[in-house]
Amino acid sequence: MAAIKSTDLDFDQIKESLKDYLRRQDEFSDYDFEASGLSNILDVLAYNTHVNGLIANFAINESFLKTAQLRSSVLSHAEALGYYPKSITGASATVNISVSTGNADGIAIVTLPAFTTFTAEVDDISYTFQTLENYTATNDGSGNYSFTTGTGLQNIIITEGTLKTKTFIMGEESEEQVFVIPDELMDTSTMVVKVYDTPSSSSYVSYVNQIKVARIDNDTRAYVVREAPNGYYEVIFSNGNVLGQRPLAGNKIIIEYLAPSGIDANGAATFIADDEITIDNVNYSLSITTVSNSAGGSLKESISSIKDNAPIAFAAQQRLVTAEDYKALILKNYSSVIDDVISWGGNQNVPPIYGRVYVSINYKDGITESVKEITENAIKTQLADNLAIMSIDTVFEDPENLFLELSTTFNFDPDLSGETAETAQSNIQTLITTFFTNNLNTFEKVFRRSNLLSEIDNYSEAVLDSRMTVKMNRRLIPSTTIASNYTLNYPVRLAVPDDQDYIVESDTFVYNGQICRIRNILDSTTLELVNLSGDPIVDNIGSYNSASGTLTIENFIPDSYSQFIRFTVVPANQATIKPLRNYIISLDNVKSFARATIDYQNTSAVVL
Amino acid sequence: MAAKAFSIEDGNLSNKSIITSRSRLYQDIDLSFAKRSSGDIFKKTDAAAVKQSIKNLLLTNKREKPFNPTFGTNLNSLLFHTSEEFDEIEVKSFIANAIKNHEPRAILRDIYVSIEEEYYTANITIIFQVISTQEVVQLNVSLARLR
Repeated sequence: MAAIKSTDLDFDQIKESLKDYLRRQDEFSDYDFEASGLSNILDVLAYNTHVNGLIANFAINESFLKTAQLRSSVLSHAEALGYYPKSITGASATVNISVSTGNADGIAIVTLPAFTTFTAEVDDISYTFQTLENYTATNDGSGNYSFTTGTGLQNIIITEGTLKTKTFIMGEESEEQVFVIPDELMDTSTMVVKVYDTPSSSSYVSYVNQIKVARIDNDTRAYVVREAPNGYYEVIFSNGNVLGQRPLAGNKIIIEYLAPSGIDANGAATFIADDEITIDNVNYSLSITTVSNSAGGSLKESISSIKDNAPIAFAAQQRLVTAEDYKALILKNYSSVIDDVISWGGNQNVPPIYGRVYVSINYKDGITESVKEITENAIKTQLADNLAIMSIDTVFEDPENLFLELSTTFNFDPDLSGETAETAQSNIQTLITTFFTNNLNTFEKVFRRSNLLSEIDNYSEAVLDSRMTVKMNRRLIPSTTIASNYTLNYPVRLAVPDDQDYIVESDTFVYNGQICRIRNILDSTTLELVNLSGDPIVDNIGSYNSASGTLTIENFIPDSYSQFIRFTVVPANQATIKPLRNYIISLDNVKSFARATIDYQNTSAVVL
Repeated sequence: MAAKAFSIEDGNLSNKSIITSRSRLYQDIDLSFAKRSSGDIFKKTDAAAVKQSIKNLLLTNKREKPFNPTFGTNLNSLLFHTSEEFDEIEVKSFIANAIKNHEPRAILRDIYVSIEEEYYTANITIIFQVISTQEVVQLNVSLARLR
């Protein structure tokens, strides 16, 4: 007799398998009647098999990083790959802090202690920001003090969060202690670990997070902090071998950290010091100037993000060798301010420059130039100098924005929809914007026209068909004082010239007192500068190269223009626009439109 | 006693015994799980199988059977309601619907429900005919609160 097939997960299928088995014998016949005793027994057997099957299925799923659903399983797999997911992160703002005493003979140096607090409001909710280290200021001779970092910079970073302190006493080595911090909202990047010889000691030594240590030797004092399966955090120290020194039995360990509000505190602009500072026994108010609004606050790294990043980080092995390594390590360390990163070797650059790695960063919204500069310096000094191959320079390139101008037309039958053509036009334009938000607007994302048209066709059954013309533009900000040559690069081939349509057309600008634009001469790659009547003002102001996707403008000096001048071109293949290196494809909302043509689907007897 | 006579066409029947058999239409396991002397389990057949099935249906609460939430009658839960909350007609309706939906082998003939409020007891008598036979069967079920 054939064996019972019990590999199904579905209860009904399992029960059906058992019934199949009973059908092949004549001992019992009532298995088909739901109220029968036999059916009850089949219920028990099938339910048991169903539950066992599901448990086995869940267990197998949880055994692999890509299929695990529980955060605890994903954390465990990530840890096995040497990846420590990011904790919640407090928003940081850059400020200048000063105090004016008016006392020229005042004390020479004033210290602003770590964890000095400031209050700021976002959406009428108050948040506390803090300094994370001591800053000093010297008397400028007039009793004014401006606090600076250890490197002399006036830009001081303050971070949002509530200061919390946990105190532990180190036990014997044999106890293999793990120090639990029962707080799911710990910003691990703000952790300060101090180890005192005895509970009453006032001097301490600091331990650092092992992921920030470039080289570990016998004298290294490092700790490991990791998220526990229940969402809390655990701190472990060396066993005396692997991570260098460990605290000794009886030492007091104080762990200080900030518990932030995450993304809620982004966007704070005005900061007020909570307390005054005492100089020469007199209290003075701190003067705060905001350099950049708070930004970079984020929630705990999500399960899907861990699944994506852990294998890449493992492949990078804490070394900057391949382009993917740069992406992995930069994202891992600076994701609070960075949306995406792309890097490429100098050999792939145009023109090739060997001995360089190019990095282009797409920052999050609201990140100021000063934070960008600080981040790029940190990438160079903390990552590249320690982990990259010697003699390879890291060069930062701004992302190249390529804007698409989409002219969308669609036939629309109002009888099949409750909405008007105008509403449909507006909604489809919103759909196109959403498509770009979800699928493009970052590195290495390809625009495929058919995918977008499919979404438009699926918008409503009232949309009968759709068409789209794709053009692309780049924006030039030319000098109005010096005649210069400009080259605009496009990541794809441009259409070859014909005698019907212009392949290159610019926005208007003022040139020699006339409103003009640049376009190509029909059937030619030569560019001409014409006035609004189409009369040539400059016969040859440059050219474009269809194969290389470059547009060259020579000796150009407009009188004025508004904000920038778009140079719109027709790509050779409108169906697919592939970005190259650090290009980011975005939608030009101003130049894009969606237009409905009313079509009641009535057929005519004659060709109209 | 006269000797039996048979025609030639009927053959020599006198030499053969007449054997009749009745095929067992319904065969179910006996839920008492009592065992025979042979060690095998008892079976319920035909009307007895249908009777056991209906009893099982009446004593099963809804949502008790896995992945079949409508199976059952919820009669047990009625014992914990006050007598104002339901009446005998309602109980009959529960039973009739359950048999109609879940026991296709029975044609319901009648239902008698007697509720003894002071004893928290309901006595139910169901009279049904087993389908495809003429056999009419009576099933008595008594439900009582133990606490």
